[in-house]
Formats: sequence, C-alpha cells, structure tokens
Amino acid sequence: MTGNRMEASTQSAAVRIQRFDPDVDKKPYFRTYHIPVTADTTILDALDAIKQHQDGSVTFRRSCRHAICGSCAMNINGRNTLVCNQPVRAHLDKKNQISIRPLPYLPIIKDLVVDRSSFWEQYLKVKPWLLPPDGVPEKEYRVSPDEVAALQNAETCIMCGACYSACQVVALNKNYLGPHALLKAFLRVLDPRDSQPGQRLQQLDGDYGVFRCHTIFNCIDACPKQLNPTEAIETLRKLIQKRVTFAAAREVRQEKLLSESR
Amino acid sequence: MYRSTGFISFIFRRVSGVALVLYLFIHIWVIGSINAGPAVFDQRLALVQTPIFKLMEVALLAAVIYHAFDGIRLLIVHYFNVTDARKSMFYAMFAAFILVTIAGGVPIILFMLEG
Amino acid sequence: MRLFRMQRFSAIALVVFMTIHMVVVHYPPFHIDFSRIIERLDQPLWKGIDIAFLFFVLVHALSGGYAVLMDIERVNASKRLLMGAAVLVGIAAFVYGSITILAFHPPAAVVVLP
Repeated sequence: MTGNRMEASTQSAAVRIQRFDPDVDKKPYFRTYHIPVTADTTILDALDAIKQHQDGSVTFRRSCRHAICGSCAMNINGRNTLVCNQPVRAHLDKKNQISIRPLPYLPIIKDLVVDRSSFWEQYLKVKPWLLPPDGVPEKEYRVSPDEVAALQNAETCIMCGACYSACQVVALNKNYLGPHALLKAFLRVLDPRDSQPGQRLQQLDGDYGVFRCHTIFNCIDACPKQLNPTEAIETLRKLIQKRVTFAAAREVRQEKLLSESR
Repeated sequence: MYRSTGFISFIFRRVSGVALVLYLFIHIWVIGSINAGPAVFDQRLALVQTPIFKLMEVALLAAVIYHAFDGIRLLIVHYFNVTDARKSMFYAMFAAFILVTIAGGVPIILFMLEG
Repeated sequence: MRLFRMQRFSAIALVVFMTIHMVVVHYPPFHIDFSRIIERLDQPLWKGIDIAFLFFVLVHALSGGYAVLMDIERVNASKRLLMGAAVLVGIAAFVYGSITILAFHPPAAVVVLP
C-alpha cells in the first residue's frame, strides 16, 4: 500500500549539478539530470541514482546517510546543508529544479568534492581535545547540569564544514581559525574539566581568532545541527576581556571537581 | 558567493566604512585651509558647496547613518544574546536607516534647490 | 582584544559626537563660511569637543582601516608595517587637525580710529 501511495506521488525533478574535472575542464559548468522523485527521496538519494543510472562520473563525498558523519555537506540552491537528510522536494524551485554545488570558497578537487585541508588545519590549531588537570580522578567527574547547559550542545558538532565554507571571513583569509574551530574552542574553554582556559583564551585573542569574526551570521544559517557559532564567538570575546579572573575561577572549580571525584 | 542578510550588512558596512575614512582625510584637508587664513577658507568651502557636492553630502549622510546604525546593531549582538533575531534586527535597522536618511536628506536637497 | 576595545569604545563615543556634530554644524542646512563657524568655535568648550571628536574619529577610522586590510590574507605578512603606518598617520592627522581647530579664532581686532 505504501508502495502504491509513493508511486502515485512520483514526480520528475531537474537536478543541476556543478561539474568540474581539473584534468579536462578550464572552469566549472552545470549539467542537468532528470530523475523521478518521491516525497522520501533525499538529495543524496538523487545523487546516488544519477551516479548509478545516468552518469557514473559524478563525484561526491558521502558515508553514513544519517546526518552524523559530516561527509556530505554541499551547497543546495546557494545554501550550505547536508544532502542526506534533506528531501529533494523541499528544495525544488518553480521550474522543478534544484541546483547542487560544492561547498563555496574552498578549492574544488572534482565535481562536488572540495579540498578541506585548511578546515582541518585550523581545527587542530585550537587543540580541540580536552586538556585535563594533573592527577586522574578515581571516580567520574561530576559536572553540574548548568555547566552542561552553558555548552549549548556545542559537542554535537559533526565537523561537516557547512559553517566554515559559508563564512566570508574564511573566504577572504584562510589564516582565520573559522567558526568550527572557534565553536570547539568555546566547548573546551567552558568545559569545567579543562585545565587551560587561560592559555586557550590567549590564543583566541590573536590576529586570527575571535576578533577577526565580523558577525555575518552565515555560520548559524548554515549549521545542519542548529548550533550557534556566532553566539559562542561573542561569549569567547567577553571571556577574553576577563581572562585572568576566569582562569582563576576555573582552578578553584577544578579543585572542587577533583575532591568530589575522590 | 554566499548571500544572506548578514553578508549584505557586511558589504554595506565595509563600503561605507572605507568611504568614510577617505572622506575624513579630505575633510581634514578642506577645513585645514583655515591655516592659510579666512579668505582662502571661504573660497575653498564655497567650492564644496555647489549643488553636485550637496547631492554627495546626502550620500555621505547615508553612509554615516548606515555605518552608525549597523554598528549599534552589532553592539546589541555583542552585549545581549539576540542572534536568533538576526534577520529581523537587520530589517529593523535597515528601515530605520532609510527613514533617518530621508529625514536628514530632504532638508539638504530643499536647501540646494533654494540655491 | 585591544583593537576590538578601541573600535567599540570609539564607536560609542562617535555615536554621541557625530550626533552633536550633525545637529549643530549641519542642521538646518545653511551656507557654511568662516563667519558662521567662528560664532561657535570662538568658545573654548566647542574647541575641546571638536578635538575629542577628532581623536575618536581617527582612532575608529584607523583601527577600522587596519582591520579591513588585515582581513586580506596577503597583507597579513606586513602587519607591523601597517600598524606603524596607521600610528604615524593618526598622530600626523591629529596634530594637523588640532592646529586647524585652534586656528579658528576671530581676526585680530581692527582698531578703528574716529
């Protein structure tokens, strides 16, 4: 029965894909593929169908199909998003058309695949891992619900690059840390278990840190996980202005944290 | 190119800012002619009060008001957690900018027409 | 952070000073010449206000210009040169501007003999 209903609601969609093969093409161009779509067809399904049945040379990254691996971020009708959890129909224009481009402002390797080296390089610069205090506690750390709420779900970032490639500051200057790295830095700075918020804030105060952000908000618009890098950057800006007090308070908090976990 | 209200505000802020910096130095130079005496000052000032300059003054006013209002918007974003209202804040700011520019620009144009 | 603070504080100051400047100097519009300006600038308080205005506007303009240029990747390497240039231009413009403001005084009294 479900099959019948889906069949009845099948329609044809024109999928415009930006193509570019550096070995052959001088510049990117669009090619349109017509495929049948139902209400359940995701953009990734459409790309898979095109690659399977029409043109095996279409190149794109994908992996989990469940919006958690962060591989399939692309630019759909001018907006960055994941393609695996977006139905094609939601993005069709009046001409029943959808345009798929690679993430903007990054070098194209082929078709929809971009070079994300700078994304990872900037990410590593902020030491995205936890730097715990000396002395491993015997029991688990006990962090308060308020402290967890203050992180604003930043830990759910899937590193898809949608925010990074939507950022016009990144477009101008690849030395800028970028919203993804700053969100991760925010997560670590606010984490009560992290022992070096002072040093982290000092680094973020540099030429390519939080003060390079021009509050364009593209990162919020682009994030498929509804995270808020801009707010995180504003919070870090405020913390940098009271860095010493903040770092001292963290030491006190950490002593309590360690004594509670003994 | 990633278009959004944030990007539009950024471009306008940049362009108006750079234009105002250039204007500032021209302004300092024009007013600096007082050092050569009131006569030279009046002469040079009469030069920049011709109708074409009056029209440019309206553009200048627009740049100042846009830059100021957008700056106030960013101050609000910094001090209060209002990123969820980013789009409506931009539209409100832009409407205020248009209104104040018209209110400020009309007297200049009227004065210019009167001669 | 230092630049950011300079930008923010000068911005807030400018909102105040620019409003005063526009309302007092430009509205309602009139033909500007020496005799009109001297009525206001004859008073030391207005000279002080204008010099403070000049200071904040230069801080804001030059730190803004520096930030705009530093956004460009290729400029990053010449950071110190840019900073030095901004400071020099700032000092020169402030000195010249202040001299200009102070030069607005009524012409020496002409002794009219009976």
